[in-house]
Amino acid sequence: MFRRSAAVLVTALLSSALIAAAPPADPTALLRDAVAAYSTYSYSGQVQNTDFGTNHTEAVLFRIEHRAPDMTRRWYLAPEPLFGDSIISHGDASYDIDQHNHRIIFTKDDALDDQVAEDDNFGLLLHNYRATMGPDEDVAGRSALTVLLVNKYTGQTTMRISLDKQTKLVLQKERYSPSGAVAEQMRFEQISYTKAFPAALFSVPSAGYTTIQGTFHGLPSNDLRAVVKTAGFEARGPQYLPDGFLPIAGDVSDIKGTRTLHLLYSDGLRSVSLFQNARGAPLDASHYTVRPAKVGPHDAKYLEDGSMTLVAWAADGLHFELVGELSREEMLHIAASVAP
Amino acid sequence: MMHLTNEQLIDYMHGELNPQQDAAVFEHMESCEACRAEYDAELSVTELLRAYAREDERELPSTVKAAIWSQVRSARPPVWSRITEWIRPAVAVPVAAAIALAAYFGTSYLGPQGVPSIEAGYYLQDHQALNGTIPFNDHSGTPADLMNASPVDNQQAAVVVPPVEYTADVSP
Repeated sequence: MFRRSAAVLVTALLSSALIAAAPPADPTALLRDAVAAYSTYSYSGQVQNTDFGTNHTEAVLFRIEHRAPDMTRRWYLAPEPLFGDSIISHGDASYDIDQHNHRIIFTKDDALDDQVAEDDNFGLLLHNYRATMGPDEDVAGRSALTVLLVNKYTGQTTMRISLDKQTKLVLQKERYSPSGAVAEQMRFEQISYTKAFPAALFSVPSAGYTTIQGTFHGLPSNDLRAVVKTAGFEARGPQYLPDGFLPIAGDVSDIKGTRTLHLLYSDGLRSVSLFQNARGAPLDASHYTVRPAKVGPHDAKYLEDGSMTLVAWAADGLHFELVGELSREEMLHIAASVAP
Repeated sequence: MMHLTNEQLIDYMHGELNPQQDAAVFEHMESCEACRAEYDAELSVTELLRAYAREDERELPSTVKAAIWSQVRSARPPVWSRITEWIRPAVAVPVAAAIALAAYFGTSYLGPQGVPSIEAGYYLQDHQALNGTIPFNDHSGTPADLMNASPVDNQQAAVVVPPVEYTADVSP
């Protein structure tokens, strides 16, 4: 009896010693693994995504089937207008299947293949954010590790990411606004890892639908000097950006005959885009609630789409649109600093 | 110095190069007079061809025109058009009103110089598209194209497949 108790005690002591000796999880390594997990693991599950805007909240519920490395189908369950619609993604190509209007909107985004830019931006993220471990938790029935991304300049937690302990797949993600409130949340309600998907699941229907060519996004350039030269007008840029933000990409595109320069600034996690054109193409915001604002002395339009905000104004013959996930005050501050 | 090929110049002229190539060609022509001259020559040839095509469209051979008019005059109106003729005023008035309204609201989306407006959704989508390489930025929120009655159509919308019966299983 005594011998058995002693053995149990020794085993318990050894186990606790082993646990104590286990190295603490490295949050930076976990983030790297999380980025790679999407193209490594196949799974099926249900996801809820919620955007908390200032005026209203938008929630989307969808079933997802993902076959690694890059084939995904999302079936929308809510809100009601989206029920039955789905999106099939094959790498950088995406097919939005609109069941209600019998049409498929085909879009392509070459930036999704840009591994060099992804690595650069991950470096920028680590430069501007401190990754720390949060408490472990359960998400969708899976044990998860939590990593907090704290902005090095403001000390604020900007994102909280919960990773599957086993696969490091992102199971939950919360983005916080500067006030500390949740601005956006993505969460798996359920998940199971499987590769057993019928091939037809990812095949795009070829009959019964009208296919519409949506927007094609070419590979952006990180040579912004060259991009700005092709704009055809004297481009402007912000003199103020939040700490850690750098210009990271840009392109020039023709939208309805209007040559538009797009410059993207980011700190590796948050980003802001400045669009400008010299043709005076006005903004059509008929699908949104527009509020008046001021950019310096100029009248501006301000609108929100979930956690994204847009400010549009005109100055000195140029039309500007600033889009980002920053606060209204931050956006107007950046807008007011745009100069030659 | 390497010079631009004719194909590169033509693609540049038609805006068919990707942004990097477009920027490279633009930059090269800034410093290379030979290529600039070649480009201007291509441009003027294209303009000439366009002008010729316009001219050609305007002037049909007189024999062709005569044949068309003869067909039009001799054609008897089909039965359905004779039946619907008497309701024409009842249809014409609302149609004219609808056209007037469409013209009013349609042109209100144009800028001061008649420049077409650009949908706010385009900027939001383009921002997200360029964001694709930023870690943990895979925005899986509301898909605007599926939510709105009409997709963001600032690019040319091309109909590729006519609608016919769909047989595959698409229900969730």
